[in-house]
Parts: sequence; C-alpha cells; structure tokens
Amino acid sequence: MKPSSGKVHRRLHLLPYLLALPIILYEGIFIVSPILQGIYGSFTRIDLGSGKPQIWVGLANYARMFADDLFWQALKNTLTISAMVIIVALVAALATALLFNRPFRFRAGARALMMIPWAFPEVPVVMIFIWILSPQFGVANVVARLIPGVTQNPMWLQDSNLAIGSVVLISAWKAFPFYSLVILAALQSVSQELYDAAKVDGANVFQLFRNITLPGILPTIEVLLVLAVIFSFKGFALIFLLTGGGPNYATETVILRIYNAAFRFYDYSYAAAMGVAGFVISLVIAIGFIIMQARRARELA
Amino acid sequence: MTTATTGAPYRPPRLRQAIRKTLLYVAIIFVTAITIFPIYWMIVSTIQPNKYSLSFPPPFFPQEISFTQFGLLFAQRPIANWLKNSFVIASISMLLVTALSVLGAYALSSLRWRGRSLFGLFLLVTQMLPEILVLVPLYILYNQLEQLNSLPALAVVDAAFALPVCIWILKGVFDAVPPEVLDAALVDGCSEFSTVWRIVLPLSLPGLVAVAVVAFFGGWNEFLYASILVGSTELMPASVGLTTLSGLSGVLVEQYMGAGMIFSILPVAFYLSMQRYIIAGLSAGAVKG
Repeated sequence: MKPSSGKVHRRLHLLPYLLALPIILYEGIFIVSPILQGIYGSFTRIDLGSGKPQIWVGLANYARMFADDLFWQALKNTLTISAMVIIVALVAALATALLFNRPFRFRAGARALMMIPWAFPEVPVVMIFIWILSPQFGVANVVARLIPGVTQNPMWLQDSNLAIGSVVLISAWKAFPFYSLVILAALQSVSQELYDAAKVDGANVFQLFRNITLPGILPTIEVLLVLAVIFSFKGFALIFLLTGGGPNYATETVILRIYNAAFRFYDYSYAAAMGVAGFVISLVIAIGFIIMQARRARELA
Repeated sequence: MTTATTGAPYRPPRLRQAIRKTLLYVAIIFVTAITIFPIYWMIVSTIQPNKYSLSFPPPFFPQEISFTQFGLLFAQRPIANWLKNSFVIASISMLLVTALSVLGAYALSSLRWRGRSLFGLFLLVTQMLPEILVLVPLYILYNQLEQLNSLPALAVVDAAFALPVCIWILKGVFDAVPPEVLDAALVDGCSEFSTVWRIVLPLSLPGLVAVAVVAFFGGWNEFLYASILVGSTELMPASVGLTTLSGLSGVLVEQYMGAGMIFSILPVAFYLSMQRYIIAGLSAGAVKG
C-alpha cells in the first residue's frame, strides 16, 4: 500500500484529536476544574474544620473583598513591586545584553556565569539573601556602611521601605538573566549590513542605537514586558520566604494575600473570591500577550 | 598636531582601541562579579569554619577551608530523606510530562487540524495562571479524597504546571524536523506511530532531554504545593525541608548554606546546559519570532 501523503492525512484525521485529548483531560482535571470549583466556592461559605456543609452566600465574599483595605493594599503592592521589578530587570537585561553582544574573550563562559541566578532554585536563593541581609552578620551591611551617615546595620527585611527595596532587587536579580539572553538573541538577529551602512554615513554610537538597534529589538522587548508582568504577578516563593508579606503588609502581593487568607487564617471561601480576582487579572494579561503575539505573527507573515 | 581641531587630544587609533577594550573588560568583569556575588558568598559561607562567617565584617576570601559540615549535615538532619522525596516527586513528574508532551507537541507541530490554534491558546493560558489559584480548591479536594501527604498526588500537580511549557519546547524542536523526511517515511509505508518513534524522536533527542530537565527540576524546586499538600516530616521534599532548617536550633550557617548548595547543584547544572531550549519554550515565540 502506497497512499499519497494527502490520503495518509485524511485517513489519520482523528489522530490530532486523540493526541490532544489526554492533555486536555489532564489539564482539565488539575487546572481547569479546580479553578471552576474555586469560582463556585467563592459564592459559598466553606468550613473545613467543623465539617459544616458548604452554604451559598451569594456575593458576600466579594462584598467583603471590595471593602477590605488589605485587599486593595495588596493590589497596590502588586502594582508597585511588579513595576519596579520589571523596570530594574529589563534595564539590567538590556544593558548586559548590549555589553555581552560585543566580541570578547571567554564570552561563552561569562554568559554562562550570568545565567546562574536564573538557573538557581528559589528556595536556596532566599536562603542566601536572608544570610546576606542578616542584620547581625550580613555582608550587605559592609556595603551599606560605606555610605556616609550609616553607622548601624540596616534592618533590611524588617523596615517597610528597605524590605520593598530588597524584594525588588532580589526578584530583579533572579529574573534579569532570562530577559538578557532573549534580548541578546534579538540583538544578534539585527542585520550587520545596516550598521555598516550607517557607519559609512558617519552615524555615531547613539544614532546607531536609536535608529538601528532599538527598532530591531523593540518587538522582543514588548513581548518580554508582557511576560515580565505575568511572571511577577505569579511570583510567590521568593517574597513569601523573604518577608511573608510583611513588615506590616508592606510586601504582601495579591498572591500572598490569597495564600495568607487560605492557609494562615483558614478562610477558604474568602481566598477563593480573591482567587477569582487574581484569575481575571491574569486572564487579561494573558489575552494581552496572545493579541501581541498574533499581531507580531501577522507582521512577519 | 593637525587633527586636533575638535579640541580632544590626539590619540593614535591603536591606543584608543586598547582603552576601549580595557573599559569593555572592566565593565564585563564588574557586571559578572556583582551578578554572581551572592552565589560566591554561599560557597564561601559553606566552606569556611563559621567563626569567620560569624565575625563582622566577614572576610571576603575564605581564610580556612573545611568540609566536615557536609558529614554533620547528613548525620544530624534528615536531608538525605528530603532529597529522596524530591527525587520521587521529580521523577514521577518527569515521566508523565515527557510522555504527554510528545503527544501534544506532535499534534501542534506536524499535524494540521481544526482546533489546533485553540489548543495552543489553551496551553498558553494555563501556562500563565498563578499556581495559587489552583491550590485552594485542590487542597479542599485532596482533603476530601484523603490524598494529602502523598508524593504521587503532589507530583501529578507539578506535572500539570510543567506540561504546557514542555509542549512548547518540544513543538519548537519538532518544527525543525524537515517535513520531507516525514513524508518520505509515510510514503515508504511507515505508520504514523513508527515515523514518530523511529525518526522524529531520535532527531529531537536534545529537545526531549530539555523537556525531561524542565519537568524533573520543576518538581524538584517546587515549594508552594509541596508546603501545603504534604505536611508530614517523613514525606517532606527538600525544597520545604530547607526552609525548616533556619528555624531549628543548632543549625550552623555552614550547614545551612551547604544544604542550599547541595540542593542547587543539579538544577543549576542541567538548566544551564539546556538553557537554549528552555528559554525558547518559556518565551513561547518571543525568541524566534
């Protein structure tokens, strides 16, 4: 039997659905169905400890959420912390990518070293930084004491502003190598001929960057920006283990707020309602990402 | 000096290049040093006796090196058991994800069907959802089914979150297999299954390894689910176990840092060697365009 390749595909037209089915079922059981249950649970009262039945309470959890100052504070924290992390990480990524795009000796080795923070698991990262920021013995104090006027070791994770700063810098440190590598790949795809032509025309370094490099990598940076928003909105372990959301809720993001409501105060239905809010937010960002990718695909086609 | 019309001192091009080159190297060394300093500090704090770590200011270079802390760590703390639990979780997740992602990646890459882009969209969205959204309902469900404190029950959730990324990674690798090769095999009478088994998979071996790495270390590193869905100290994986070390009395800084190092060596080595594939999958299209 030697069917033409078209015939083969017609014979197998069920195959893709058979292949996709187990995956859709798997993600359905472990991701979609829990989320649907969470949406249902947000309209009820769940009491696991006493074994009382789940009762329908309508919008009560949502009414509570909208009146909850800590929820709004968490939203504000998420916005400010994410914005700072994204700015610091993307600027560092762009700077290092431009630097590492130049030819130099041991480039491959230096690049591998730069990728280590990205490859490091979150839990040991937190262990390192808690040690580095230890008010008593932390090596960060040595650096801080170089600043004139600083005579005491700062309370890095116990003071609100310092805690926010520490969380931002540590998150950016962990995130920027990934963005840097992606920008580097984009830099290397910018046509060398454009640079050569511009140099012949007498363009200086800044003109080259502004008129050739930047337009060449802007689509990549756009996509990275949305990815960075997603990653930092999702982030949990790093902040949770560094500060737990404290001091005084200063670093409590929406994700930590949900966690604390559910697993510190056993307030499952309220956590479910805030989870629905988190779901809506991440859905909006995800749709933004998809629209952006689709637009890019159209431009390339 | 005839060229000094701009006011800048004249420098021969070669000297200028040397200065530029030096500046470049200084900048690169500076940036790299800052980036890896925390890791360096972890290593220093592990290998030097703690009288140096517990002095202020601490010395920047190790004054003395000792390795007794590793022995004490394994003798005094259940770290071997924690690592074993992590290994079990990671292996289950790896097997599930590798098998399932071959199916998904083949459907996305090599076959044309209605619903293909919808399927891709579904994966993209699940990949972007925060893990916590699933945790609360899942905790209630596991509580009812009495599946709390079960390593396989934890591993299947880790797998669900690793699966979409892994499908994207493998799809990218399958895309690189020339379609003529597939058509030739099919025309020669190979079944679809044996085409995949004998041609696509061997050609995609690095991609398969990358997928296995992501799934394995996704389970190995995972903290949130492990901390909630497994409560017993017997079944605690290392990611959770390590966080309990700081609260224990008598855990010395070189043991604490050493435990972190032992936990990190494998993921760092494997992620770095597979980074090209992993990053392409994580950014799902941003890299290749």
